[in-house]
Amino acid sequence: MRNTYLQFIQLITGILIAVLLGIHMVNMHLDAILGFFGVETFFGVNIAADPTIFSLMKARSQQVVFAGIYIALLIFALYHAFNGLRNIVLELTKSARAERAVTAVIIVVGVIFLAIGVYAPLALLS
Amino acid sequence: MAQIQPRQNLLGARGWFYGGKYQLERYLYILHRISGLAILLFILFHFTLTTVFRIQGEGVWESTMSIMHNPWFKFGEYLLVVAFIYHALNGLRLILQELGFTLGKPTPPIYPYKDSIRKKRPITIVFIVIIFILAVITFYDFIAGGW
Repeated sequence: MRNTYLQFIQLITGILIAVLLGIHMVNMHLDAILGFFGVETFFGVNIAADPTIFSLMKARSQQVVFAGIYIALLIFALYHAFNGLRNIVLELTKSARAERAVTAVIIVVGVIFLAIGVYAPLALLS
Repeated sequence: MAQIQPRQNLLGARGWFYGGKYQLERYLYILHRISGLAILLFILFHFTLTTVFRIQGEGVWESTMSIMHNPWFKFGEYLLVVAFIYHALNGLRLILQELGFTLGKPTPPIYPYKDSIRKKRPITIVFIVIIFILAVITFYDFIAGGW
């Protein structure tokens, strides 16, 4: 029953990632196509220029909308990716002990990534 | 009463690459896993750049980004965008099928049988065409934006 819930959350996070990562990818990479439609800014930040320019990166980091998208995306992506990885690894073993060990390692690694990943956008907000 | 035992996974990891009678859908499933693992590797790399390197100031950021402007990295980015498009749309197809939306009404098992995989194959083909079109559009953007 627990795996059914985990799989259901996998579906929900998959849909949420598709939406948020779609926004992120269009913002960051599809500037030529956005330019074609005359879109050059997103919440007051220039998205038509190279997104790797430091001043633009800083301008994005200071917007709550961008920080919110990054943190939400991080939470959903970490769950989706690590739960997917867990499913793949657990196909190779039937041992309950191995399952517990794999789950514990994935939770610890996930929490470490989450802590670092939430700290960075919050620190750059100000 | 005899207990029905679960079938053993005799092929192990090798079984992931064998489509058998499931054909197209099974290979799409394998590609879903490969694209997922590729995206996971990229996430870890991207995560390091956008957290550890990003908070260290302009000098570190600019020097890191100058490495990222290498054409091979750009090509890798394009492959990653295609992997994301594939993983997202194939995942959407799997969600629709898992929740039963695209399976059609059940029919009596009269010869010649039409199983659920053959019923849903046209939808699978439509998804493959959409993935291909989006891959071409993003390729245009990468070319127009310069490698």
